[in-house]
Amino acid sequence: MVGAIRKPASRNGARARSVLLPVGTAGVLLASWHFGVVASGSDLFPTPGQAVGGIVELARKGLLLKYVVASLFRVTMGFGLAVLVGVPLGLVLGWFRPAFLALNPIIQALRPISPIAWIPVAILWFGVADTAPIFLIFLASLFPITVSSMAAVQNMQQVYLRAAQNFGLVGLPLFRRVILPAALPQIITGIRIALGVAWLVVVAAEMIAVNSGLGYLIIDARNAGKRYDLVVAGMMMIGLIGLLLDLLVRRLERFDEVRWGYGQQ
Amino acid sequence: MAAWTLCVTAAHGTLNLRWFQGSVAMASGQERFKVGFIPVTCHLTCPVTDFINKQLYGQGKFDPVRFNGFPELKEAFLAGYMPATFILAPLAMALREQGVPIKIVYLGHRDGTAVMVHKDSGVYRMQDLRGKRIAVPNRYSNQRLLFFRALKQAEMTFSDIEMVEMPPPDMPAALYAKAVDAITSGEPFMAQTELDGYGRVLWLTKDVWPNFISCVLAVHEDMIKQNREAVQQLVDGIASSGKWIDQSMDHRMDAAEFVAEKYYNQNPRLLRYVLSKPPDRVKYTNLSLRKKDFEEIEQLGIESGILQGTAHFEDYTDASFVPDDSVVKPHAWQGLKK
Repeated sequence: MVGAIRKPASRNGARARSVLLPVGTAGVLLASWHFGVVASGSDLFPTPGQAVGGIVELARKGLLLKYVVASLFRVTMGFGLAVLVGVPLGLVLGWFRPAFLALNPIIQALRPISPIAWIPVAILWFGVADTAPIFLIFLASLFPITVSSMAAVQNMQQVYLRAAQNFGLVGLPLFRRVILPAALPQIITGIRIALGVAWLVVVAAEMIAVNSGLGYLIIDARNAGKRYDLVVAGMMMIGLIGLLLDLLVRRLERFDEVRWGYGQQ
Repeated sequence: MAAWTLCVTAAHGTLNLRWFQGSVAMASGQERFKVGFIPVTCHLTCPVTDFINKQLYGQGKFDPVRFNGFPELKEAFLAGYMPATFILAPLAMALREQGVPIKIVYLGHRDGTAVMVHKDSGVYRMQDLRGKRIAVPNRYSNQRLLFFRALKQAEMTFSDIEMVEMPPPDMPAALYAKAVDAITSGEPFMAQTELDGYGRVLWLTKDVWPNFISCVLAVHEDMIKQNREAVQQLVDGIASSGKWIDQSMDHRMDAAEFVAEKYYNQNPRLLRYVLSKPPDRVKYTNLSLRKKDFEEIEQLGIESGILQGTAHFEDYTDASFVPDDSVVKPHAWQGLKK
């Protein structure tokens, strides 16, 4: 009886804590940022208030929406292509040993090359329109997706396979009904990491002479002289949107099809 | 997911690519080309020409494309993304030596560079820079050659200083933080340190190398062969803009206003300062190509190790577009009406 009464109360308490803790921590960090800048007497580095003022200024000029849309478009395209290519490629590599042997060394050699190193190549191949940044984002997110899909198939619990074989499943049905669902949680983890990377690369990718995007906003603010408030405003927007994207991908993990793979839990 | 992709693509197309407004330029039947520039006063005639074209003819004759640094600009030119660009003179000369079909057709400006030190530093003459760290925009920049020349005049060499390459927009902050002891690049980034109260002019270009050239207008040889008329029109427009800017202080202040706001995204106060204090800090007349100027750059380039000396004036220039600068007329535009 006591337990029945206490339970909702503690659930409320947990909910309050899950809001209060992150908000409180952010508040403390923002306050120390503000007072840190004030104490240092710097007139170049902005306070959080000035940075938010920068965001408001951009929104009022109509630039904020433009830039956010441009960055989201490039990330959608580059990352979307990477998922379309990376997941099937990883599944094939994980299932067919010869394909793994043939391609894995090349993938591991390309993987550590920073997208920044690809900038000159991207300009030579694609010019400076949208294609070049999309290519950079595609490259950066392709490898985490491929590698995680590959590992997901390779590390799959053998008991699933044996059970499926006992039921006489082979070929495409085996793949669709057992291998893919069993690998999905790990694939989604890979996709989540890759989305983080794709969003991370947007600044570097937009350093190419495109004329829109949050990355461009930062480069442009450097050109504009003493506008470090806009630099930090750009950083804040990238961070906030990154947070939203991560929350969205986390929701993917709640689907039944995905939960199936967490069978052991 | 598909719905999101469609939405974000449509929004990007509308807001940034102007998919639904682009029909005017297409309808006029003129093929437009791109011209690269960087937001420095050395490239000022590029946006000024575009703006005046729009005022006089209702639309621009080319699309100015802004870059942030010379590496990206050079790569876009090499990739054929744009057939014409403003570029550092020694960089264009070095590209020619490396076999790139580039031709310098006109100068961007004269003078317009300063060497800045921190106002608290004890540097008052070149000799005081011994052992110090100096930032230049690029190894192929004329600022580096200018510094080489100033060192020679002070009986010093590159080995007496430490030179680092840095994008001009980053230089003011580097000087403020005393990460470097001196900076030199095109304006307005030098004047910015003065306006913000921590930079002091060590010397202006005109003190060390009068009529100094740093950037030029260069085009791809194919464009001259295939569309000489368009190149002529571009050079004429740039030349008339130079004359227009130098016609009166009012014009200079107008240029500062619309270029800062519409092309460079800088505080207009900064460009107003650079273009007026002193008025000969940077000049836009007398910009036709002269062999003597380039031979001097060639010589310094060879001495300082950035040029081989395998390409000469006739190889990397085409001076035929404006053989005589004195006949160039300024644009017939009254300026911004206030």
